[in-house]
Amino acid sequence: MKQALKKVALAVACAGGMAATIQVEAANWLMLQGTEPSSAAGRAKVWGFLQPTYTSMKGSEVAAGPWAGNEAQFNQLPPNLSSSKGFEIRRARIGVRGQGFPLDPKVNYFFLAEFGNNGITSTGGGNGQARMDHASVTLNHIPGARVRVGLFKVPISEEMLQAIHVFDYINFTNFGFQQLLERFFDADGAKVGPAFNGPNVPNGPIGAVRDQGIQVFDTFNTGGWDTSYAVMLGNGNGINRQDNNDSLDKYIYLSTEKVYAGKGPRVQSLKLFAWSQTGEREIFLNTTSVMETFDRKRSGIGATYRKGKIRAAAEILRADGMIFAGTDGGAVVGSVAGGPPAPVVGQIAGFNVQTEEKADAYYVHFGYAVTRSLELDIRHDVMNRGTEVSSNERKFTTTTLGAQWFFNLKNRLAINYEIRSAEAPNLPSTDNANLILDEMDNRLSLQITSIF
Amino acid sequence: MFTFTAKGSVLLAALALTVGGVQSAAAADKPFAEKKIVLQISDPNPFKQTLVLNVANNLLKEYGTEGVEIEIVAFGPGLRLLFADNANKGRIQSLSTSGVEFRGCSNTKKNMAKKLGYVPVLNSIAKVEGPGVVRIVELVTDNGYTLVKP
Repeated sequence: MKQALKKVALAVACAGGMAATIQVEAANWLMLQGTEPSSAAGRAKVWGFLQPTYTSMKGSEVAAGPWAGNEAQFNQLPPNLSSSKGFEIRRARIGVRGQGFPLDPKVNYFFLAEFGNNGITSTGGGNGQARMDHASVTLNHIPGARVRVGLFKVPISEEMLQAIHVFDYINFTNFGFQQLLERFFDADGAKVGPAFNGPNVPNGPIGAVRDQGIQVFDTFNTGGWDTSYAVMLGNGNGINRQDNNDSLDKYIYLSTEKVYAGKGPRVQSLKLFAWSQTGEREIFLNTTSVMETFDRKRSGIGATYRKGKIRAAAEILRADGMIFAGTDGGAVVGSVAGGPPAPVVGQIAGFNVQTEEKADAYYVHFGYAVTRSLELDIRHDVMNRGTEVSSNERKFTTTTLGAQWFFNLKNRLAINYEIRSAEAPNLPSTDNANLILDEMDNRLSLQITSIF
Repeated sequence: MFTFTAKGSVLLAALALTVGGVQSAAAADKPFAEKKIVLQISDPNPFKQTLVLNVANNLLKEYGTEGVEIEIVAFGPGLRLLFADNANKGRIQSLSTSGVEFRGCSNTKKNMAKKLGYVPVLNSIAKVEGPGVVRIVELVTDNGYTLVKP
């Protein structure tokens, strides 16, 4: 009897340990973020994560042009742009999710708030402010057509759609950072001279690939593959504010995933996916002093692979219509031009938007788990921005070397070294644009992610 | 002597049948089971669903499918484990195939029906006869089961 009880105790103890490592969520981001395990979710599960981060760059200044001698925007730490190195709480999120009425598995909710220092809370160097990050309700009443409404991540590029706390790198790719994390502006920033009051800066928090709207989605088993779809209509105006025009953004997402083992964020699988976003934006053109409407389109196609010790991903992306185009003269927003040329003297640097341009990009990621605790990663990403007009084109290339040390399943240290370069390929090497971009610094980042 | 022996055998057989009748039907399925465990789930925490299924699985591994009788009794908030659409239904099916019995509480089912406005659909594998707590008392006091509440 004593022996039997000992074995039962052992079984209970083993089960406790085993259960802690099992993810009960579904195997893709749409399901993972938008649903709960049927009849197996709590009324309110509190969770979140913290990301203390240290970043260091050399801090090279603008090398040429009207803003020469000022701090270079791309060598300063966003969002405050006041230093080239330092500590910050990149993200600090806490949320609650579950089934408010646990007996009915057909309705679930997801709420998350952001307290960290980033574009959501302090866009363009403004004062920090905690903001709602997610607030959605999913209705699971229609077979094959779950409905999610509220504020949530849009179905988009794998880099952005994946849960950030399992992201293998500290910083996003060039395309992700510039063209997917949307900054909302009142004007295009194409002013010349000090005639306008203040610099062109975002009029609200960064979009962070969140939108408010309605999404229909679901996942099906098709011949051993988990095939998912999502179609969404959203304001296209960022986090927690109403639409500013009568046009809704349209999102379409399709993926199919062969699951080899496991569940949840780190499922072992091969996934193929494609997505698109189309919308319109109204913006004030400084050159004509009129408000006009322009398209904003994004799309991508890619794959992820994770099996055993190997992790890999690749994606090709495109932007069409309105694209983000950096700052005046590469200077930190707010810097005053010393000139020449004469009309620029006294102008305050702001952000720029190109309204009818294109950009294309790709990234390739490869990771290898050396041990259960150590993973090595390398990512190469290239973005060509402004490809419609040769003088607009800027090519950004970054190779990121990374290592992740997993203290345990919920806590890890990531170290990234980014070898960054940029150029204006259609302009002479002596052109101001190339002289400025030559000064783009490499970037060292360390980050602890602690999930609770 | 012969007559007495025959009568004695018949008596013993009748006695054995009577005792067998008192014991659970589940016990009759595994006549060589050395251990008898009843697992209770009555907790609203969904983690407990995974835990109780893991415990059952570990017990089967430890004693073998023929070496242990396992019955999982769900009542109160724990009855959600036996809802037909429960995310763990695949594991429940698998454990049932290995001989694990699942029992739901009829009182809880009635109370949940009042709250929901309709009778919840339970997994067809589960038996729902009488109160869950009474089932546990019967198994422990009359049938030699050990109660484990993970």
